[in-house]
Amino acid sequence: MASLIHCPHCGIRPKEEFSIRGDASLVRPDPAASDEAWNDYVHIRSNPRGRYHEHWQHGAGCRRWLVVERDTFTHEVFSVTDAASVARKAGR
Amino acid sequence: MTRTYISHHPLDGLLPLEPGIRAVDHLDVPRAVAIASVMAMEGEEASVTAGLAASGDISVRFAGPGEWLALSRSETPDSLERALSLLLAETAYVFEQSDGRVVFRLSGPNVRRILAKGIATDLHPGSFEIGTSSNVLCGHIGVNLARTGENEFELIAMRSFAVALFDDLRVMGREFDLSAGFSTLG
Repeated sequence: MASLIHCPHCGIRPKEEFSIRGDASLVRPDPAASDEAWNDYVHIRSNPRGRYHEHWQHGAGCRRWLVVERDTFTHEVFSVTDAASVARKAGR
Repeated sequence: MTRTYISHHPLDGLLPLEPGIRAVDHLDVPRAVAIASVMAMEGEEASVTAGLAASGDISVRFAGPGEWLALSRSETPDSLERALSLLLAETAYVFEQSDGRVVFRLSGPNVRRILAKGIATDLHPGSFEIGTSSNVLCGHIGVNLARTGENEFELIAMRSFAVALFDDLRVMGREFDLSAGFSTLG
């Protein structure tokens, strides 16, 4: 587990200040989408070895949701971005 | 039925009312500090930052993007909220927090070694400069930490965590003979 996270608002912080909330690459399907699409979105998760985009919440700091891009094998952290700016960039 | 509510500090009974002998490292607990939480409306972050910077003797602590704690020792809780609401009308939401938070002021030459027992953030004088403030985790308790002087830090905790944080700070400071007491300034 990566032990230091560079929060874009608070600086370098220990991982204990964060809660990890899973895959950040999923996009919520349309309300009218098929049951399979919803099943995939709600329940089906991959467990990749390597680069992974994850939602982390800085609960003990700025309380913002962040998207952490990290390597699940080497624990290297590539980037940390505010989730709101990621969503805005994706047009959501 | 009418009830009379008496405002009391959560550390009443744990700290002596009369100031005792003060060690070099001291934990000062001010009894009456007016605190308000300020949240900028969307897109108004810059104007609120500028407004708070021009607010005179109100001390401003960063709590997150678009979110601050404003402290004043001279204003009453009501007058602080009124002053901020007037100053930041239409750009921010202001909420009175004076009874909801407790301020701890830790000072002395060993203050960083004491804080290092609970806080994992880098507090080196070069990287955490005077006036810097941020929410950090102290043990298991989230606090707002600010550097207010060369060797002086202020911690603001939720009222319900005050006693637990006070116990933690005492244990953290035991090695350095940390003394504690209510602030003589009120």
